[in-house]
Amino acid sequence: MLYNDHFGIYVDVAMPVEDKSKSLLPFLSSPKLLPNESEAEFQSGLQSLLSELDNPSPLAVALVSQLNECLWWIKRHTVDKELLLHEAMARLLFKAGSHWMPSGNSKLSVALEHYLDGIAHKEEADLIEQALTGGNLTLSDLRVRAFKDAAKHIKMVDDLIHRQHQTMRHLQRSIDSIDYKSRLLKRMDLELAALESKQPVKGALTLDAEPS
Amino acid sequence: MTPNHPRNLTNRHNALKSTGPRSVAGKQASSQNSRKHGLNSAPDFESSLEYRALVDLIAEEGFSAFACADIAAGLLNYRRVMDAYYDTYTSPEPVDEFLRDANVKASSPIFRELLSPSGSEPQDVREMAAFFASMQRQERRKGGPVSRRTTDTHKLIRYQRNGIARLSRAVRQG
Repeated sequence: MLYNDHFGIYVDVAMPVEDKSKSLLPFLSSPKLLPNESEAEFQSGLQSLLSELDNPSPLAVALVSQLNECLWWIKRHTVDKELLLHEAMARLLFKAGSHWMPSGNSKLSVALEHYLDGIAHKEEADLIEQALTGGNLTLSDLRVRAFKDAAKHIKMVDDLIHRQHQTMRHLQRSIDSIDYKSRLLKRMDLELAALESKQPVKGALTLDAEPS
Repeated sequence: MTPNHPRNLTNRHNALKSTGPRSVAGKQASSQNSRKHGLNSAPDFESSLEYRALVDLIAEEGFSAFACADIAAGLLNYRRVMDAYYDTYTSPEPVDEFLRDANVKASSPIFRELLSPSGSEPQDVREMAAFFASMQRQERRKGGPVSRRTTDTHKLIRYQRNGIARLSRAVRQG
């Protein structure tokens, strides 16, 4: 039993909040992570969102977990934009050096990744520089052309990110609605309890009283 | 050609010999051959255990019976969409590296060599090289793995939009 200062009454709490909040999640398939993603990071994001919930009812927790997944997808798609650019750069480089290059596009892609990160071996660096020279390109030229080539797919990723934002708005509105509903119910319970406590004998029972 | 043309009759007769799936299980399996994500099929949540458990749990929060049913179905439907989204994202169509990276100009002598025992004409070799080039163009147009998964995932946007709208409406009207 908790004592409510505002109404001056005791309120019954049937179940601890922690137990209630987790009861809905096992019935929904859990979000899956990619092999290179950190589960600890995902869970810490979820916990920080849950800690902001005023009233962690099972449904609200289920919706917050979907919201956390949306944030995770936004992160994935943002990485994808950079990967698309990288893919297009590798394609252009391969095209520039296709008449002499012995290795395939995949090897070139790895070499380019190392080159851009500054960890390329001498062979890889030579391969990239030779391809750039062969195509009469600088690295910034290549990036600009790759952006132009990958624009269609980058736009698609932007759409996907935008969709996740819209989904988050829907989820947020649903969570607000649950919160409002539970507050309203609690307030009505408290007001009813206050009325009953003020009129212990006949007060709140006037509806049941016999008409005079 | 009339329906009773001898060639049509022969075709029909030969079709009877075709080896399609015959068992119930085989037919069921082959009916899923062209299935991509399964989001167009109507789901049957009501008979699942998860649905009943969800309805009971949501009812504890003071929602009406109708609202509980709507919210539970909405939640399961949204999860179904997001699972398909994940599956599509993680398993894009594989890249045929050989076809993508092959040198088409160098392929003509190879085709000539392959076709020479059958006494082929230069026209045949040209046609085969052109066909190979068109396949390569198609393969290159699809892009690398990231482009492919982006294109595939992009097709699921409308299912996600409908799924979340259904869930949100159920919760707010409950």
